[in-house]
Amino acid sequence: MKNTYVILVAILLLSLIAQAQGPPITADKPIMLGGGSFTTKTLTEIRKTERGTFVYVPLMLHYLPSSNSLVAVHLPYINYDIENGASGSSLADIKILGKYQFFRKDATGKTFRIVAKTLQNLPTGEELDVMELSTGKYSGYYGIVAGYETLKYGISNEVGYNWMPDGTLDEFRYKLGFGLPLLKPQYPNKQINLYFEYTNSWLVERDWYQLLYAQGIQYARKNITFDLAVQVPLVNDVDAGRELRHSIFLGTRFTF
Amino acid sequence: MKRTIIVTLVIGMMTMFSANAQKAMDKFMVQVDGLGCPFCAYGLEKKFKEFKGIKNVKIDIETGDFSFKYPAEKALTMQAVEKQVEKAGYTPVTSKIERANGKVEESKGAMLSDSSEGTITKKMMVAGNCGMCEARISKAAKSVNGVSEISWNKDTKMMEVSFDTGATSLTEIEMAIAKAGHDTKNHKAQKVTYDELPACCHYQRITK
Repeated sequence: MKNTYVILVAILLLSLIAQAQGPPITADKPIMLGGGSFTTKTLTEIRKTERGTFVYVPLMLHYLPSSNSLVAVHLPYINYDIENGASGSSLADIKILGKYQFFRKDATGKTFRIVAKTLQNLPTGEELDVMELSTGKYSGYYGIVAGYETLKYGISNEVGYNWMPDGTLDEFRYKLGFGLPLLKPQYPNKQINLYFEYTNSWLVERDWYQLLYAQGIQYARKNITFDLAVQVPLVNDVDAGRELRHSIFLGTRFTF
Repeated sequence: MKRTIIVTLVIGMMTMFSANAQKAMDKFMVQVDGLGCPFCAYGLEKKFKEFKGIKNVKIDIETGDFSFKYPAEKALTMQAVEKQVEKAGYTPVTSKIERANGKVEESKGAMLSDSSEGTITKKMMVAGNCGMCEARISKAAKSVNGVSEISWNKDTKMMEVSFDTGATSLTEIEMAIAKAGHDTKNHKAQKVTYDELPACCHYQRITK
């Protein structure tokens, strides 16, 4: 656990020297920042469930070959403490992300974009059966992200399906996020943004359903961004002992 | 004393060279659509930093006005600028270059003369409030084929527009502006369009 906090603090400090961008926190958005650029970010999740506590610390490296495409690799580390079970730290499931923007409609101070997205989950983690964090199994997610962003507010939608060869974590997912800037839009940026994000997750084979709500806040000044969100379940229709209590997200982002 | 004079002369010459160097800069002004957040503006600036020697980068995210200076000797073209905006992931709407030698170029590489035969300049009142209104009014007017120049003053609410009388008319321009949500003396914007404007753009409507 101590190692986890050391890594977390190191990544947070690293972000202080770098550039920033401002998507939603638990959701995704279709805007990509300039072809030929790299982005490094992290979004640490501290997930508390009836089964135990999981601290997930990914290091995400994003590259945009063009203004409408993105490839990325997520290298995650996980610390787990399962009640009456195992505990420890290990590499979690490495993820390969690809996005392609196929629709864009711009206007003054606003934009609407749609991207196709895939997230390939590699079986490099422990078989902890923790959705999206560490399953030790291959899965492929295929979805569409659509977003409308203006200087007054932002809306993002994501719908997709996560396919796993043995079907145990086949999942239909829908995310809806709203962003609200609290300060007047200005550049160089100085922003405080609020995010209201909903995640619908239906595990088809297990017939589990969760509706999660995340309240997030983001602070950005010049090239520094901090994200904080708390996610709680509104509907927790899963097996006994597997319910989510809450998740806390801490993130930082920078581009170079 | 002698040393002081030499130092003064050297500084004076350096200042002159520096002033000359500053004069030899082209000024670029692009109106960019799609800047939905300050981070988008950052993405745009970052992409243009690939142009070595770029100076005075300014972005007004509310209006989409993006301007910068670039060494004249590099003869940066309009096409290269617009392509770079596209590469950043945004849409260039109008572009203008004020060359160091005094020439002015506008979108699509058209060289502007003072005024071609058939081009007239008219003034009229257009309702609006802010910088975003200004950008919207300019964009709407420029979308009309034949319009070459347009300016709008948010304090006086007066628009000055130059257009080719063979290609369009003042009525057509007024209609385009009204369609974008801004009342003119002869054409009012539809209520639904007006209601959709951002709060800061809710001007006092013109009553006939």
